Amino acid sequence: MRGIMSNFLLRWPLPVFGILLATASVAGQAPPASSAAANSNVERAIDLATKGRCEEALPALKQTLSRPPGRGAGNEQTSGKQLEYRAAMAAAKCAMSLDQAQTAVNALFLLKRDFPHDPEVLYITTHYLSELATRASQELAHTAPDSYQAQELQAESFESQGRWAEAAAEYQKILNQNANVPGIHFRLGRVALSKGASEANTEEAKKEFEEELKTDPSNAAAEFSLGEIARRAGKWDEAIARFSTAARLDSGFAEAYLALGMSLASAQKFAEAVAPLEKYVKIVPDDPAGHYQLAIAYDRTGRKESAAKEMQLQREAAAKAPPSATSATPQ
Amino acid sequence: MISRRRWLQLLSSSGLGSALGPSGAWHAGPKSSARAARIHANSLPAFEGIPSAKSGISWTHVAGISPEMYMPETVGPGCAFLDYDNDGWMDIYLVNSGPCDFYTPPHPLRNALYRNNRDGTFADVTEKAGVAGNAYGMGVAVGDYDGDGLPDIYLTQYPHSILYHNNGDGTFTDVTAKARVAAPGWATSAVWFDYDNDGLLDLFVCRFVDFNKAKNIYCGYGAENKRWYCKPNVYTPMPCWLFRNNGNGTFTDVSKETGIAKSLAKAWGVVAADINNDGWMDLFVGNDTVPNFLFANRKGRFEEIGLLAGVGLSPFGLARSGMGVDAADYDQDGWIDLFVTNVDHETYSLYHNSKDETFSDAAPGSGIAATTKMMSGWGVKLFDYDNDGNVDLLLCNGHPDLMVEQRLQNVAYREKLLLFQNTGKGWKNVSAESGPIFSQELAGRGMAVGDFDNDGSLDVLLTQNDGAPVLLRNNAGRENHWLGLKLVGRKANIEAIGARVAYQAGDLLRHQWKVGGGSYLSSHDPRMVLGVGQRQKIDWLEVKWPNPCGKTERFTNLPVDRYITIVEGEGGWK
Repeated sequence: MRGIMSNFLLRWPLPVFGILLATASVAGQAPPASSAAANSNVERAIDLATKGRCEEALPALKQTLSRPPGRGAGNEQTSGKQLEYRAAMAAAKCAMSLDQAQTAVNALFLLKRDFPHDPEVLYITTHYLSELATRASQELAHTAPDSYQAQELQAESFESQGRWAEAAAEYQKILNQNANVPGIHFRLGRVALSKGASEANTEEAKKEFEEELKTDPSNAAAEFSLGEIARRAGKWDEAIARFSTAARLDSGFAEAYLALGMSLASAQKFAEAVAPLEKYVKIVPDDPAGHYQLAIAYDRTGRKESAAKEMQLQREAAAKAPPSATSATPQ
Repeated sequence: MISRRRWLQLLSSSGLGSALGPSGAWHAGPKSSARAARIHANSLPAFEGIPSAKSGISWTHVAGISPEMYMPETVGPGCAFLDYDNDGWMDIYLVNSGPCDFYTPPHPLRNALYRNNRDGTFADVTEKAGVAGNAYGMGVAVGDYDGDGLPDIYLTQYPHSILYHNNGDGTFTDVTAKARVAAPGWATSAVWFDYDNDGLLDLFVCRFVDFNKAKNIYCGYGAENKRWYCKPNVYTPMPCWLFRNNGNGTFTDVSKETGIAKSLAKAWGVVAADINNDGWMDLFVGNDTVPNFLFANRKGRFEEIGLLAGVGLSPFGLARSGMGVDAADYDQDGWIDLFVTNVDHETYSLYHNSKDETFSDAAPGSGIAATTKMMSGWGVKLFDYDNDGNVDLLLCNGHPDLMVEQRLQNVAYREKLLLFQNTGKGWKNVSAESGPIFSQELAGRGMAVGDFDNDGSLDVLLTQNDGAPVLLRNNAGRENHWLGLKLVGRKANIEAIGARVAYQAGDLLRHQWKVGGGSYLSSHDPRMVLGVGQRQKIDWLEVKWPNPCGKTERFTNLPVDRYITIVEGEGGWK
C-alpha cells in the first residue's frame, strides 16, 4: 500500500518540481550561468527533467552522480555544489519515475552525503525510500505470494497496525509450514507482549523467546528479551546472564550493554557494571541513560571524580534529548 | 529482526512484566494471614467511602478551570487531619482555590475546617475559626510551631501563603506578617520539622515554578495546536524556602545560608526524615521535570545529593515528573526508604536505602513499577493500614491534564486508588479486594492519613481536583491489635518529629519513625499507630526522642487497642 505523501510527491507535475529545484534551500539564489561544457550538459539534462523528459535526461544526470564531491573553489565551488544539488534532485526524481531504484538510491545517498541537513533532501529521502520499500513489498507479494517472507511481511504489517491476533496467526502459518524458520518465534513473543500487560502474555512471550533460541541459538534479541523479563522480575542473576549472552552474540548490540550494566548495578555489583556501561557510552555517547548509570557505578566504586564527570555528560545529553512524545509542546 | 535503538523503551511501554509477581523479598516477618478472610467474612471492605450525607462534609473544591489553562487550576488541592480543638478527635481541613491575578471566582470560595462530632459526622466551623484562606490555595502543613500544645496551620497558596496561629478557643489568627513566612510565589507542599536540632519546629516550603498570569504559556498539541495544560518543563524553576523558628513567634528565612536556595526546584512534595541515621533530619523533595532533591542535613546546612544517591532521575538518566513523596522503613532493616510518584509512562519509584546515602529503586520487580506504568500519582503514604506490623502503601492517582485522553491511549484523567499490601516478603496489589472505592475513577490529588474514629485503624482523606473530597473509613485495622501513641517532646520538638519507636510483641519486633510531612499538599494525624497483628500484648516499647534530647526511654506493661500519651522525660505513659 502506498503512502499518501509519497503518492502526492510522485504525482507532482515535473514543471512544479523544476521550480522546486530552482528555489531549493541550498541554492539560495538564482543558478549562475555556466560556460563550462560539462555543466552545460547537466543544465540541459535538468531542464529536460523539469519538462518530464526523464529518459533523455537521466543518462547525463547519472554522470553527475559519479563525480567526486567538493570540486572547485570559491564561487566556482558554490555554483558547482548548487549544480550538483539540482542534478541529484532531478536524477532521484527521474529515477523514481522510471523505476530505476539503484540510480534513485545513488542520488539520494549523494544528496545525504553532501547536503546532510538540507530539509528538502531529508524530506524526499524519507518519501522515496518509503516508496521504494513499498514497491519491493509489492514485488514480493506478486512474485512469491506463498513464500514465508511474504507472510512475514504481512504479519509485520498487522503488527504495525496493532492487529495482534492477525499478526500472530500469520506468523503461526509460517511455522506450520516450516517450524525452523528463524525469527518467527521471536516475533510471536513480541506480539504476545504487545497484546497487553498480563501474566499470561508474559509467560507466552517467554515461551516463544525460548523456542526462538532453540531454533536459532544466535538470536541476540531473544536473549535480550528474556533478560528484560528477568530484570523486570528482579531476577538479577538471570538478567545478567541473558544480557551478557546477548552482548556476546552481537557485539554491536548497544542496549544489551546498557541493560547488563543496569542489572549489575541493581544487583549491587557496581564494579562489574563499569565495563559494560563504559562500552555503552562509547557506542551511544548521546544517551543520558548510559552516563547516569556509569556515574552511579563510578560513585559506588569510589571513583568520585569520574562520577562527577559522567554526571556532567548526563546533564549535557539530557539537555539535548528530545522532549517526551507524551508531552504537549509550547507554542 | 529487532529495532534495537529504542528497545528498552519499547519493552518498558509494552507492559512487560506488569503481571510479574512481587519478588523483592526482604524478610520473612510474621504475618496475620487470616485477616483478609475475616474482613471478607464480615462483608466489610478494607476501606469504605463515607458519603457526604453521612459525614456532613458538603464542601467541594473549585478549581476555576479556564480556557487559558493556568497550571495551578489542575494540581490542587491538599487536605489535613488535625485535632485543632485538642479534644482527642481528628478534625478535617480542606483547601480551596480563591482569588488571584488569573482567577476571580464567580462566587466567594473558602477553605473548610470541619470539627469532628465524635460520632462519624463533622460540623463546618470555618467561619468561626477564621481559616478560610485568601488567595489560590494549594496545600496545608499542620504543626505546633510555638509549642503551646495547639496545632497551627500553614496554608500554602499562590501568590503568598498564610500562617494561622491557633488561639485555643476555636479560632485562629493570621500571623503571617509577624512571623515573616508569606513565601511569595507559588507554594505547594510544606513541612514542619526541626532542621537545626534546637527543639523548635522550622518550616520548609516547596516552591513550584516562576509563575503569574503574565507568564502563563500557551502549550498546544497536534495539528490543531489545541491548548493543553503545559508540562512544566516550559517554566522556570525557583528555589524552595526554609524558615528557621526563632522561638518568639517569628521566623528567619535561612534558605540561602543553609544551601536550600542553591537548588532550583519545581517542587510538589516533601518529606522530612533522617535517611542516614545521623540524628539530623534530611529532606526528600519531589520535583517535576527537574531532578528530585535529597537534601542531606550536615548539621544545619544542606547538601543536595539526589543525583548520585540514585533518587534524582529515572534509570534512563532523565528527570521525571516527581509529585508526592513519602518515607518509611518498609523492610525493617533500620534505614528509612523513600517513595516518589510520577506521571504516566514514567512509573513510580520505591527507593530502598543502601545505608550509605545511596538508594536503589525497588519498584521494578515489586509489581509497583509495572502497575503504575501508565498512571499519574499525587498523594502517597506508607503506613500499616491493617495493623499487622508491616508498612503498606496507598496511592492517590489522576492525570493533571483534563484532556489527556484525547492525545494519549491508555492514559486517563481520572484514575483509581492503589493499595499495596506489604506481605513481609514483597508487595501485593490488594486494591481490587479492598472495597468498591478502589473501582472508582477519581481526579485524586492530596491525601492525608488519620484515625478519625479513634478505632486504631488509620483512615484516609483524599481530595479531588474540582470535585468533592473523599473520606475513607478503614475497617481492616480493627481486625488486628494495636497501640496508638501521642508523643510529646520537651527538649525535643513538641511533636517529636524524627522520633524512632521500637516495640516487641511476642515474636514481632518492629520499629517506626515519625517522619515530617509526606504525601502531597497534605498533613496527617500526628499520632502513631503500632500494629501487632493478633498478638494481644506489647512486651516493651522504646522511644528514641529526636535531638536535642536524643535519649531513649523504655516502657513496659503497655495496653493494646487504645491511644496513650508519652511525654518526653516523664518515664511513663497516660
